[in-house]
Amino acid sequence: MAYVYIPVQNSEEEVRVALDQLPRDASDILDILKAEQAPLDLWLIIAREYFKQGKLDQFRQILEEGSSHEIDEYYADVRYERIAILNALGAYYSYLGKVETKQREKEEYFIQATKHYNKASRIDMHEPSTWVGKGQLLLAKGEVEQASAAFRIVLEGDRDNVSALLGQACVEYSRGHYGESLTLFKRALQVYPDCPGAVRLGIGHCHYKLGHVGKACLAFQRVLQLDPENVEALVSLAILDLQTNEAAAIRKGMEKMQRAFEIYPYCAMALNYLANHFFFTGQHFLVEQLTETALAVTNHGPTKSHSYYNLARSYHSKGDYETASRYYWASVKEINKPSEFVFPYYGLGQVQLKLGEIKNALSNFEKVLEVYPDNCETLKVLGHIYVQLGQTEKAQEFLRKAAKIDPRDAQAFLDLGELLISTDTGAALDAFKTARSLLKKGGEEVPIEVLNNIAVIHFEREELELALQNFKEALGDGIWLTFLEGKANTYEVDATSSLLQYKDMQIFRRLEEEGHSVELSWNKVTTLFNLARLLEQLHNTETASTLYRLILYKYPDYVDAYLRLAAIAKARNNLPLSIELVNEALTVNDKCPNALSMLGDLELKNDDWVKAKETFRAASEATDGKDSYATLSLGNWNYFAAIRNEKRNPKLEATHLEKAKELYTRVLVQHTANLYAANGAGVVLAEKGHFDVSKDLFTQVQEAASGSIFVQMPDVWINLAHVYFAQGNFALAVKMYQNCLQKFFYNTDSQILLYLARTHYEAEQWQDCKRTLLRAIHLTPSNYTLRFDAGVAMQKFSASTLQKTKRTVDEVRSTVDELENAVRLFSQLSAASNLYFNGFDEKKINTHVEYCKHLLEAAIVHREAAEREEQQNRQRLDLARQMALAEEARRKAEEQRKFQLERRKQEDELKRVRQQEEHFERVKEQWKSSTSSSKRRDRADIDDGEGGHGEKRRRKGGKRRKKEKSSRSRYEMEEADMMDDHDEPEDDDANVNFREPGYQMNDQDDNVEENAQDVLAAAGLEDSDADDDAAAPSSAGRRKRAWSESDEDEISERKPQSSLLRENSADLQDSDGEFRDKRQENAAVDDED
Amino acid sequence: MKLAGLKSIENAHDESVWAATWIPATETRPALLLTGSLDETVKLWKPDELTLERTNAGHCLGVVSVAAHPSGSIAASASLDSFVRVFDVDSNASIATLEAPPSEVWQMQFDPKGTTLAVAGGGSASVQLWDTEKWKLIATLSIPRQEGPKPSDKNSSKKFVLSVGWSPDGKRVACGSMDGTISVFDVARAKFLHHLEGHFMPVRSLVYSPADPRVLFSASDDAHVHMYDAEGKSMIAAMSGHASWVLSVDASPDGAAIATGSSDKTVRLWDLSMRAAVQTMSNHVDQVWGVKFRPPGGPGPRAGRLASVSDDKSLSLYDYS
Repeated sequence: MAYVYIPVQNSEEEVRVALDQLPRDASDILDILKAEQAPLDLWLIIAREYFKQGKLDQFRQILEEGSSHEIDEYYADVRYERIAILNALGAYYSYLGKVETKQREKEEYFIQATKHYNKASRIDMHEPSTWVGKGQLLLAKGEVEQASAAFRIVLEGDRDNVSALLGQACVEYSRGHYGESLTLFKRALQVYPDCPGAVRLGIGHCHYKLGHVGKACLAFQRVLQLDPENVEALVSLAILDLQTNEAAAIRKGMEKMQRAFEIYPYCAMALNYLANHFFFTGQHFLVEQLTETALAVTNHGPTKSHSYYNLARSYHSKGDYETASRYYWASVKEINKPSEFVFPYYGLGQVQLKLGEIKNALSNFEKVLEVYPDNCETLKVLGHIYVQLGQTEKAQEFLRKAAKIDPRDAQAFLDLGELLISTDTGAALDAFKTARSLLKKGGEEVPIEVLNNIAVIHFEREELELALQNFKEALGDGIWLTFLEGKANTYEVDATSSLLQYKDMQIFRRLEEEGHSVELSWNKVTTLFNLARLLEQLHNTETASTLYRLILYKYPDYVDAYLRLAAIAKARNNLPLSIELVNEALTVNDKCPNALSMLGDLELKNDDWVKAKETFRAASEATDGKDSYATLSLGNWNYFAAIRNEKRNPKLEATHLEKAKELYTRVLVQHTANLYAANGAGVVLAEKGHFDVSKDLFTQVQEAASGSIFVQMPDVWINLAHVYFAQGNFALAVKMYQNCLQKFFYNTDSQILLYLARTHYEAEQWQDCKRTLLRAIHLTPSNYTLRFDAGVAMQKFSASTLQKTKRTVDEVRSTVDELENAVRLFSQLSAASNLYFNGFDEKKINTHVEYCKHLLEAAIVHREAAEREEQQNRQRLDLARQMALAEEARRKAEEQRKFQLERRKQEDELKRVRQQEEHFERVKEQWKSSTSSSKRRDRADIDDGEGGHGEKRRRKGGKRRKKEKSSRSRYEMEEADMMDDHDEPEDDDANVNFREPGYQMNDQDDNVEENAQDVLAAAGLEDSDADDDAAAPSSAGRRKRAWSESDEDEISERKPQSSLLRENSADLQDSDGEFRDKRQENAAVDDED
Repeated sequence: MKLAGLKSIENAHDESVWAATWIPATETRPALLLTGSLDETVKLWKPDELTLERTNAGHCLGVVSVAAHPSGSIAASASLDSFVRVFDVDSNASIATLEAPPSEVWQMQFDPKGTTLAVAGGGSASVQLWDTEKWKLIATLSIPRQEGPKPSDKNSSKKFVLSVGWSPDGKRVACGSMDGTISVFDVARAKFLHHLEGHFMPVRSLVYSPADPRVLFSASDDAHVHMYDAEGKSMIAAMSGHASWVLSVDASPDGAAIATGSSDKTVRLWDLSMRAAVQTMSNHVDQVWGVKFRPPGGPGPRAGRLASVSDDKSLSLYDYS
């Protein structure tokens, strides 16, 4: 029990005051103190006692009384005590100011404190304790430099002033000069080894900050030795333990925290840590209690922020995002700079994402990123946010950075891959592959989605084998392997019931009966579907259909599988089954726009126009008109309605075309990149004769359509070719048609062959035209129109050859052959038209037959004439050659004559000599007679030669003989010349004679043709009959083509996949979405006319 | 079971080659390959070097089918002008010219004994049977018309007969139509038996298995090959794999495999025990219109041979083992 003795004035007595029994009312004591004029140090002691007992009012009352004017005057010479009282008050107010949270009152307290310190200074400028107090005050106010100055003044006076040393240490500490701070703390300890634990705490903190964890730990432990109840040391030690991150240490740390809490339940730091602990153990109730207490007991911003953060986290994890968001906000508000404590920003961002406040979340995450620019999680989150905001490029940038920073973060690569999948499949594939190998390396199972996506990208890039591998890997073991490897026991089905083969589920029941497990887990359905799609692409249709059926067997509501089966049936032209399958799909969902669209297509194929239109309407309504496929289909419907009738109604045609254009345009407005709508618009434009514009359109569409396995648009190639054709650019048109045939139809489309033939026809390439038509007939033998066209082509070829002024015999001969073929073809058609309905007017065919027969007769005459002419030509040539030979012969004969003249002269001479001798020798006369006989023989030869000459028309051999002979005798030659001369005019005559009938025949020909044409005109064929004939069937066929396979088929075939493939997880939804694309498939087909 | 390319002749014809068959070996010569083309000629080739033996002209329009008599001495060719020309293989002497208007002529086949020639009659929806002694028409096997409200254009053109096949015992003839149905006839009674359904697109080629007179293979534009039990009216298997029309099918003499030719430019070999394609030959660059296994018998090398002809004007010979 401590007592204070107040000396009674003017006596030796003292009043004993028991310090622990100070009166409640301080006025009692004050009265005594004043009355006895007690020394001021007693006032101070009593005030301090009150302070210790927490009786702050009394404490203040005494001190204020003790610093009043009266006292000043009375105790004017007692300086130190007065200063001490003022300093005590100053310190008191400093503390109040420091603790106060409200700014105005805080300043108020600081002013009070300043006032008291100034007063103390006025009493003694040099009192160190005043300076120390002022330093503390400045420190509290955050004016570190001035505080430092104050402490330094003291230290200059007394370098061992412990208070100043500690103050300065604090200054250095808050400046971040932990080393200096540490030395100051140490000096204080040396000067005053018994100083309170707080000094050692300071040392501990400095060591901690300097990273000397061991020393820090020692310092805190020493504090605890001195004062086992020192909460701060306990908490600090606990934090150190927690930070070791070892389970045992953490447990020890938490025990210390707990002890600290038991010792002093209002240490905010301990409360926060405990709350943190309970957050992780999931005891949210405790978290809330602890943090609320912490919030109540502290005004320290960062600590409060921490508490709010804990509270927010607790709500966050409970899913109460609203409350969590509120507390995160509170936490954030306590923070000056995000760098101080960044977690609540992250939490706030997360909660805002949940609440859909994407923009706010974005700014919060960006703040986090400023502090931790390399934080993968944040980068990824930002990437996702940008994806949601549609800023793909930024998103990519962030995800790429995340993947770069942590090249072992599979998740980052997965995210990146998913992001890239729609823009850059190559990069996406790389990302997915990296993720896959990372996952594999980490021994984790690669999620089926990843493998699915990899496979789908391979699929899109037409790397079908790789796609197959990945799908198989994704699916793992299962009943499907049995089908893939073809091991399932097939069984026979009745051929008539095979009509329904794609609906048959027996196979699975049998397999189950045989003890196989037919299982298909839900997460594999999409992949299995994709695999089936791939098999279709690989033309393994049967297995694909089995897999689709497997899906339906297990998941009968999987509409897409029905649609695919329907598409397969449709591809095989099994329309009844296809319609039935689509109807099954519609029983699952009678509003399914895809099924409705497909049904519409099927109805069109069945020539059920009115029904089809209604179905398309229903499809359009099912999607509120947003579905471009249905709109496109309606557009196409209108287009075909416009060109449907053979006898066109111009008014109706215009209306339909206008409507079609409107519908195409509507689609284009919604989806500017819709190829099919652009194609349709091009068709309408071409129909109206704007070829240049439509050509541009088609060219663009063609470019856009190339390069994807899922977009097959042969129509645009055909349309482009049609435009070239219409513009007279036949060569290009031919090329286009041929390319299209090769690229899309394996050269099997007879309709395009017909277009090609027509182009050849217009270009007057008759043989090409005929050959093209023959190929077309070979491909579609039952199309008699093609035979008719071939007949027309041959007829036209013949007529044009006969009209030529110059023609060879071969040409005329082949003309006759062609005409015979044409006659045969037409006659066959005529005969067939009796038996079957093949769309031909028998009269018309007969007209053709008649005409061709006429032509044929004429042609035969022509042929004969031509053959004769050819013969004569040959003769003439022969004669010319003979003339040349004769000339030569004559020249030679001349020489010979000269020679013979010479000889004769010699002979004459000889004769004279001989005549002179004649008389003398008779033997010599005999020689002379022998020469004359030889001459006679020559003569006979000449006759022979003439005979040969007569024959020479047929035999060339004669010539040579003559040549040999001609050299022999000049007489012979002369005669031959005569003959030749005589011959020539004759020949000429003959020629003239022949030619004239020839001309007549030509005239006749023309007449025939004119007549024939008159007849044709009468029969309803105009002059360019052939053109029309070729065109008419083509337009008829064209319509068929329009709805034929390629187009709609793909609608359902290719597109759906592409959709399904993409997002495994979101399959159904997605597929719906993507179906839209697929729908655009529909194509308007062509046409020129 | 595999195919190995032996020899290809580019530009074997001036135009697309549309038909091919093997003329069985006789005592004096080995089997010959007979091909028909759009260039209006029929050519004879001698294996394995595929040297050209002879070129027969005389057809108008393209040659769509060729057939060889089992004796190896007679062959027939038919063209788009609907004439069938029957000629002596070794002398090229014309034996007969057949015509049965208004039927046109598509695929033809001699029966296994060689007494009858069956001709697919196109739009007449019938198969004509010709006696090979006197070259007289002995029967017309007509597909019964479907009953309907109006026997309109569509139905008749649907039953257009494209292909024909004899069963190895000579008792049955099957024919394939544009609408995909296959009709089976009893030859002795000249009677229609039943349809085999399953295709819905033209059936361009039919062949019975040499091993089992009940088994029939059909090739269709739907890219599938079906295997039927032609007597039991049931479908045994549907085989897919071709990317486009299957234009031709033939069964190997051992009955273990079939070969197909398709518009997708490939020739495929199918193992019937697996019912799957085991090999794909892609040496042609356009549609493959005909594939044919060489029949067994005769002098010369005994190995199996398969020939294929294509729109690319070429023909190819493969070793089948």
